[in-house]
Amino acid sequence: MARYGMVMDMRTCVGCQACMAACSTENQTPFWSEKFRTHVEDKETGTFPDVRRVQLPRLCMHCENTPCLSACPTGATSMNKDGIVLVNNDRCIGCYACCIACPYDARYAYEHEDVEKERELYGKLVTHEVPHMDKCTFCVQRLAEKLEPACVATCPTHTRIFGDLDDRKSEVHKLAASGKAQALNQGLGTAPKVFYIPS
Amino acid sequence: MTFVHQEVWHWQIATYLFLGGLGGATFAISAVLHLFEGCDRKMLSIAVMSSIAFLVIGTVFLLADMLQPLKAIYALTNPRSWIFWGVVFINFYFIAAIAYVIPLLEEWPMLQPIIQKIPQPILGLLERFNKLVALGGSAAGFLVAIYTGLLISAAPAINFWNTPALPLLFVISGFSTGAAFLLLLSMLSSNPGAHAISAKLEQLDAILIVTELIILGAYFNFAMFLPTGARASAEFLFHSPVFIVGFFVAGLLVPLAIETWGIFFSGHSEGKKSTMPILLASALVLVGGYLLRIYVLKAGMFQYPW
Repeated sequence: MARYGMVMDMRTCVGCQACMAACSTENQTPFWSEKFRTHVEDKETGTFPDVRRVQLPRLCMHCENTPCLSACPTGATSMNKDGIVLVNNDRCIGCYACCIACPYDARYAYEHEDVEKERELYGKLVTHEVPHMDKCTFCVQRLAEKLEPACVATCPTHTRIFGDLDDRKSEVHKLAASGKAQALNQGLGTAPKVFYIPS
Repeated sequence: MTFVHQEVWHWQIATYLFLGGLGGATFAISAVLHLFEGCDRKMLSIAVMSSIAFLVIGTVFLLADMLQPLKAIYALTNPRSWIFWGVVFINFYFIAAIAYVIPLLEEWPMLQPIIQKIPQPILGLLERFNKLVALGGSAAGFLVAIYTGLLISAAPAINFWNTPALPLLFVISGFSTGAAFLLLLSMLSSNPGAHAISAKLEQLDAILIVTELIILGAYFNFAMFLPTGARASAEFLFHSPVFIVGFFVAGLLVPLAIETWGIFFSGHSEGKKSTMPILLASALVLVGGYLLRIYVLKAGMFQYPW
């Protein structure tokens, strides 16, 4: 069984947002409402003249101790055998409890208007047929075809490194275990499976 | 590190939390009064019917805030979720409250035709076990009231909510609003024995307000202790005039002053000399309870690591 995870090498991220575009296209996320499964935070830090602009790509951390899974009353949120946190759209009642529980702002509401807009844009090829809470799935549909998640395949600077965290030969395992990579909000005990190498 | 106001749960959920606390506590206090004080059955039936109405209206607000309310039955699937337990508690509450109130409704002649349609053996059982149901119902009311706080305290990234002080604050505030509502009812009652109950409720509400003040002090002390989102939330509330004036002054201190005056100087046992101030105090407690839910939700801030 794989335990999928991701390392973000922030030394190489240029903030081009190609990951956001690739994810939106692959997963038909409601970009028209500015909702994304992966988002690149773009911030200015420091005080003039010592200022810099930093980017932080973020997405669902697929936590081992999953607050959203505990909060979901319907069992719509679950973790699959590969450690990927998924949402069953048909079972989701849209109570927003998972949104409140998530410490990483990784979830958003796929609302009635978004469903209608998607139908208008994609016709018969719609993938979200009912309103629900939406989030990153590590492109589980692409993994089934032995492909990398869309954001990883698109990243021009090899910032996103994806793979099996338990596979000692994988690049993601080596980086995650190197000591350079850190998870976000570690104090909360959520044990995220996305790690960051600081720039 | 950034602190971002939560934009997920708004006044609809605040209304649900308020009515949940009020409904749960109204039933719990009514049942306890019945068990230990004995009570005018007419007034008791109005109180319990009102508490059922509060819960029904609150649930409507909750469902209205969902994307797929018609699938709400699925909410009984994951026992790790506080919402699951909320659904269990509320259903337990409804069953207990309805079973408890049916024999009391016999006091109302206009409801007799409906009551008479219930088979006599069932009515007999409900009457026989009325006090036992009251006992179970008071537990159900307590659980519903405390659940409203437990629900929102399960958010690890919202420091201000993620503390045991919040369920405690909500349950005490819920019981204070419940006592205030019952005080309103008893003050409006024409029953000759009602003023004795009013005096008890007035004392109970004053004690609950004092307890709420102590919990608030501890809660804000905790929130201000570390440079976290909890401190940002507390500072937000300190700078909200409606919270300070509306909830803290008008919703807590003024009713406490009125009730203290009533307890020590006005003398309920001598009759209803101070009806208007007590009615005002009760109404203020209810408004204050609602403002507390609205502002605690508004003040919730995610603590993001970017």
